Amino acid sequence: MLAFPPLAVAAAPCYLEWPGFHEETRTESYPMEPLASLLHLTPESFWMLAKVLIVFLGPLTLAALLTWGERRGSAMIQDRVGPNRALLFGRWRLLGLPQLAADGIKFFLKEDLVPQDASPLLFWLAPVLAFVPAMMGFAIIPFGRSFTEGGHTYHLSLLDPGNGMGMLYPLAIGAVAVYGILTAAWSSNNKWSILGGMRSSAQMVSYEIAMSLAVVSVFMRTGGYDPQQIIAAQSGMWNVLPQCVGFLVFFVCMFAETNRLPFDFAEGESEIVAGFHTEYGSMKFALLQLSEYVHIVTASALIVTLFFGGWAVPFVAEPPVLLSVAAFAVKLVFFCWVFIWVRWTIPRFRFDQLMFLGWKVMLPLSLGNLLLQAYLMHRGA
Amino acid sequence: MGVVVKKVELNWLDRTYVWPVLMGMIITMRHFLKQISTRTSKRYTIPYPDRKRTPAAGYRGLHELKRFQDGSIKCVACFMCAEACPARCITIEAEEYGDINKTQGFDEKRPAVFKIDMLRCIYCAMCEEACPKDAIWLRTDYEQASYDRLSMQYGKWDLMNSYADQDGKPRLSQDPTPTVPRKPIQT
Repeated sequence: MLAFPPLAVAAAPCYLEWPGFHEETRTESYPMEPLASLLHLTPESFWMLAKVLIVFLGPLTLAALLTWGERRGSAMIQDRVGPNRALLFGRWRLLGLPQLAADGIKFFLKEDLVPQDASPLLFWLAPVLAFVPAMMGFAIIPFGRSFTEGGHTYHLSLLDPGNGMGMLYPLAIGAVAVYGILTAAWSSNNKWSILGGMRSSAQMVSYEIAMSLAVVSVFMRTGGYDPQQIIAAQSGMWNVLPQCVGFLVFFVCMFAETNRLPFDFAEGESEIVAGFHTEYGSMKFALLQLSEYVHIVTASALIVTLFFGGWAVPFVAEPPVLLSVAAFAVKLVFFCWVFIWVRWTIPRFRFDQLMFLGWKVMLPLSLGNLLLQAYLMHRGA
Repeated sequence: MGVVVKKVELNWLDRTYVWPVLMGMIITMRHFLKQISTRTSKRYTIPYPDRKRTPAAGYRGLHELKRFQDGSIKCVACFMCAEACPARCITIEAEEYGDINKTQGFDEKRPAVFKIDMLRCIYCAMCEEACPKDAIWLRTDYEQASYDRLSMQYGKWDLMNSYADQDGKPRLSQDPTPTVPRKPIQT
């Protein structure tokens, strides 16, 4: 209170006016109240703040760990060892995890070059445009079972269920993500960058249709597009079994959306130097790279929510909250690993093969799946 | 000259692309599990400064100028190695030495300067092949990095002592005067 006098003045009145503050009139108790009052926040805004922190830091931490997992994991797949030399305080090796800190420090200390012919504003803006949508996509994902305590229901997702956007939100955000790559490519004023950006946008547009149709068939089966509804509808059986075609299409499209290796056309290091981030260095490059990994986390979260029952634990009807969060985390990490695993298994496509696959295989498959689900719904009803 | 590329007919399972990908993923996962469960000492990669590879007996590493038991150099400064060297990295300056008591009045020849420019040396062991006295060997030391170019100019004493510690021999810094004739003079 001494440290933040203006905040205390601003927060105290509304805190006192808040009904149910006085012990004798209170009918409901807030478990988070002591912590909230410490920060001069109402329990609602404290809970919101906590969720924002979790949703922001969780994927970010996981993305950072994924860069480590990618490097060590790919090394193990290729019978190598991977980066294990960075030591914490010159002593602890910790399986090579200090490499993350070393990379971060290096990126921060590197010279921040902007090419002479680049468009400076867009060049600066592009990493942000790539990073923000990647982080935003996770907001809708419920990462644990909603629980009721003291007469209040707490939802473990940043956007509460019933907000009217549902799973349409991450699809919309995913469509925005291509602008980051395109802006980076265009502002670099470099032929390789522009090639990468063009390819990436063409690829994302092509695969978005098939992906959306695969998601629509999930919506049809659920009868709604709220993530909690979708998870509840999977209580008997995960969507992956009745919707195996849809899952396959969605999974492949997610690789295209995240620009991961079988469809790595934005980067294409074997053909167009480094694609859209050819001209990027230092922390801007790190941000672009990090946004790719955050994309992986978000994509895995979408896969888990849509097809693998989200936070649901198999054979446990009403799991404890922590168990449900753990189940979600395990599924999430598994699918993140699958993204890495597939990358180091499959060689690249050619661009015409990618377009062939997108338009002539994925789209008909997805449409057929939609029709099949529609027919099944019709027969079931 | 054209090469006829054989087109392999894929069966329907392979043409789905999903099945072969799954098979490939099983292979990569097998490699992953094998590598992650292998102890560091058993892996293909040797974590270099911590563990070092033992070179084979025929390895061509750092040179050694061999010496006799009394510590005198075997090299007779015949220049065969300098001539044989394709990189022209050996510089020899010969000198004569003799002692009426020790060498029975004969003047013998030895290198006053024997320099190898390790920056130029290609470790081909042609000098070893050319040497009539087996006085220069290429052995197992492969760690010859240094911070400046001058340190890479190995002189006579560097080369004579290059494996002294490893072989448990004393380090030399001057030519000993021979105490016994190395070869009885036949008259």
